Amino acid sequence: MRGPFQNRSVVATLVLPGIAVMVFAMLVPLGFSLYYSFTDWAGFGDVHPVGWENYKAIFTQDPVFWRALWNTLLLMLATVFIQNPVAFALAALLAHVSARFSRILRTIYFIPAVLSLVIVAKLWVSILNPTYGILNKLLALVGLKSLAVSWLSNPHTALAAVIFIIVWQGFGWALLFYYAGLMTVPREIEEAARVDGANWFQTYLLVVIPYLLPVISAVVVIDVISSMKQMELIFLSTGGGPGHLTQFVSVYLYQKAFVAGEYGYGNALSVILVVLSVGLTLIIQRVMRSAPDES
Amino acid sequence: MHRTTVLASGLVLSSVLSFGAGKIDLKMGDNLSDRTNGWGAIVETINGEFKEANPGVNMVTESYPDQPYQQKIKIYATAKQLPDIFKYWSFSTLLKPLVDGKFVLPLNRADFEKLGYMPGALDANTYNGKLYGIPVSADFWVIYYNKKLFKEAGVTRLPATLEELIGLAPQFKAKGIIPMTTDGKDAWPMAITFDQLAWRISGDATLPRKALERKIKFTDPVFVRAAAELKKLATSGLFQEDLDVSDYGAARNLFGQEKAAMFLMGSWELGLGTDNSFSDDFRANVDAFKFPLVAGGKGKVNDLFAWFGGNYVVSATSKHTDLGVKYLTLYAKRFPQLAWEKQAAFPAQKVEALPNDTPLTKTLLRIAAEAKATSGTGSLDLSTPAFKNDLENACRELCSGLITPEEFTRKVDASAEKAAKQ
Repeated sequence: MRGPFQNRSVVATLVLPGIAVMVFAMLVPLGFSLYYSFTDWAGFGDVHPVGWENYKAIFTQDPVFWRALWNTLLLMLATVFIQNPVAFALAALLAHVSARFSRILRTIYFIPAVLSLVIVAKLWVSILNPTYGILNKLLALVGLKSLAVSWLSNPHTALAAVIFIIVWQGFGWALLFYYAGLMTVPREIEEAARVDGANWFQTYLLVVIPYLLPVISAVVVIDVISSMKQMELIFLSTGGGPGHLTQFVSVYLYQKAFVAGEYGYGNALSVILVVLSVGLTLIIQRVMRSAPDES
Repeated sequence: MHRTTVLASGLVLSSVLSFGAGKIDLKMGDNLSDRTNGWGAIVETINGEFKEANPGVNMVTESYPDQPYQQKIKIYATAKQLPDIFKYWSFSTLLKPLVDGKFVLPLNRADFEKLGYMPGALDANTYNGKLYGIPVSADFWVIYYNKKLFKEAGVTRLPATLEELIGLAPQFKAKGIIPMTTDGKDAWPMAITFDQLAWRISGDATLPRKALERKIKFTDPVFVRAAAELKKLATSGLFQEDLDVSDYGAARNLFGQEKAAMFLMGSWELGLGTDNSFSDDFRANVDAFKFPLVAGGKGKVNDLFAWFGGNYVVSATSKHTDLGVKYLTLYAKRFPQLAWEKQAAFPAQKVEALPNDTPLTKTLLRIAAEAKATSGTGSLDLSTPAFKNDLENACRELCSGLITPEEFTRKVDASAEKAAKQ
């Protein structure tokens, strides 16, 4: 007897709503975006086709785009190489403490991830405020007043401060993924490694981490994509300033489309963002997939 | 029993759902988030009167702070979902694109001309000979100050020149007072100040307009000097330390909560003298003075940087344009009197001084009365939205010390050139 899922029309009927949502919520807007990226549309009024002009201007005459892309790359590196190892190390620690203590710590670490982005932004803008912010007051209290600066508007600290806020906010998710992954690692393989004489560092490096590579790959992909589309925290904290020092591609395309009224240009930026995100995701997945084979 | 309960709750639910059925929802948008104080409260009063006169109408209001509101309206226009009536600004960067896109209903000028508008107020809202919005406020650029904090810092005389103004900073800082605040995050106050400085230096208010028309260049020495003065103002320690990320609300609160001695802003902040969210002490001590002169400049102290900005318009795509026009007529009749009684805004229509005018109101009235020349709209709003965005960005960079005055003027000039070609 054939089950209902072997009937193609049943499968098609079940899949259709999901596909319809994907088509109308993603592919159709993407198609519109692509179309408008070849125009000089201001968001309303007449639409004039301009060919590749927007793309040409972005790549050859727009230093802000390159600055935004560079900042996005820095954020990506910070999340992959700072947020991830710290989250992994803490998750490993949590996996070895008592269940109750682990639960309490996991809740604490996860709080930033469940807070509204508006609250997170306002919280850090207040903490880092040079006039009434607690950070500078604490620095003054411990005799480090000379280090107190206007963190979010000082050209030397603004980008680092913004990246810190984003990493802090996203840290809980990475920790949760790694903790869940670590819980699935069979005790036997860890024990077998120890019997073979491996210390804890070697066990993690040569056994646990390779075992968790699919999880690490997923987290890295999520980090890369969220870095690419990072918008809210920057928009709510510095708005890309001072100057364009903390400008990111997502904020920039919003400003171009809805502040400067260059909707066509903004759409061209969004198309580039999508292409870069998809490209990077494919590269990372390919690299991660090939890693175990090589080992 | 169970069936009766279900039936009863069904009846209650249906009566709740049908409550208000048949009423017209007249959607309204503005930038007045606080509906209990000042201007927002006055709009609520007018809305109440409108609903009373039109029982079948329900007013649905949506408000956001200034800049997010402007962006929201652009998004609504893109999505063809503009509110029936909305507050906007008469500028070529804001109203004109909507007029060009046929989103705004033309009004009958004769109906509004008789309502006591100041000379030029309706003209600011006129495109191609048609009136598109009713102006609501007469705006001019001043410096608000706190008399008590001036006294505490030992400042006995108001600064007459820019140098004197900058020279006050150490005195305030020594007392732990921020000398001056403004909205640096949105940067438009810096752009207005740039124009103000160019006028103070040259004695000619038309230079930015001429530069936008490409008759002169933004790289000319007068603009380079204005940019240098603006940079000096922003980087000399006069403003709050986080100027670049400090928005309107934050800057206003620092002043209202008596952490800052001065607030660089427009006359629409007349309501500071009656704002209940600040202390009695503050309200009793807030006053204003004219923007100082620049040493060696040709500008006069009574050259007033003034324009008619804010307006109310009716969406051309509204299903209730007749009601929208009716509302605007009521607004035009009621707003000046209510605004003046509550000392909430400086109307674009003639009003008479009242016995309960606050000292701040009296000062602003005096500043307006003493004006020998006015500027009209600043360069920020005389060109395209893209130029406005570029000028604001350049101001942010200049005020953060990231670019030189020469680089600033080159950037602004390049943007003006691009805008002129459009």
